[in-house]
Amino acid sequence: MSESRVIVGAVAGAFGVRGEVRLKSFCAEPDAIAEYAPLTSDRGHRFPSVRLTGRTSGALTARLDGISTKEEADALKGARLYAERSRLPELPEDEYYHADLIGLPVFDAGGAELGKVAAVYDHGAGDLLEIRAPGGKPRLLPFTREAVPTVDIASGRIVADPPDEME
Amino acid sequence: MARSVWKGPFVDSYVLKKAEQSREGGRKEVIKIWSRRSTILPQFVGLTFGVYNGHKHIPVLVSEDMIGQKFGEYAPTRTYYGHAADKKAKRK
Repeated sequence: MSESRVIVGAVAGAFGVRGEVRLKSFCAEPDAIAEYAPLTSDRGHRFPSVRLTGRTSGALTARLDGISTKEEADALKGARLYAERSRLPELPEDEYYHADLIGLPVFDAGGAELGKVAAVYDHGAGDLLEIRAPGGKPRLLPFTREAVPTVDIASGRIVADPPDEME
Repeated sequence: MARSVWKGPFVDSYVLKKAEQSREGGRKEVIKIWSRRSTILPQFVGLTFGVYNGHKHIPVLVSEDMIGQKFGEYAPTRTYYGHAADKKAKRK
């Protein structure tokens, strides 16, 4: 597990005059952000619960614990919201959170380090790992059992067998 | 306007050749192609193509439900770096 908390959203500003906020959710299902409470902010706030009240253009509207006026909501504009990694549900075998994969070192079968996972993409044809070595070009690897035979989140390493390229 | 059915699907001939070579070779490899306009045919299922997006070759593992689409649809030319949050990746 790379970090104990993961970013799940941000406050885009106040909504109305009664202390509601506009919430940008970074979750795969935007509404899931409320299930990951308590949330903390990068400004030191802690919100034990998040109650979603509706939707507005490109964002959710929500009521955060402890925020009751428009001024307090305005002051939160731009705050990033984090959830504890342990609040994310367990996944079945062969499914991994991007947050767990990003930053893991990748080794080849011989034990040589290829780089670290910089990003995970899905363009519609399966997931891809972007591996970056210091000073090297980023390399994309299909996230398959053949190309990535071992993913060991607990010990923090990935073993990859990158396929050859046919020019 | 849709393409006439009697012409059949369009595929650049070099893509067909490379796919056949790879299949005969039996090795797992990424077949580098620049033809984003080629249609994905049933004989490509199971092969991995590296589709050029103007910058690099994006690995595209062809599955059955991709037949009839174009290769370019799976190699976007612009990348949006979002947040990881609770997004999941599944190993196939």
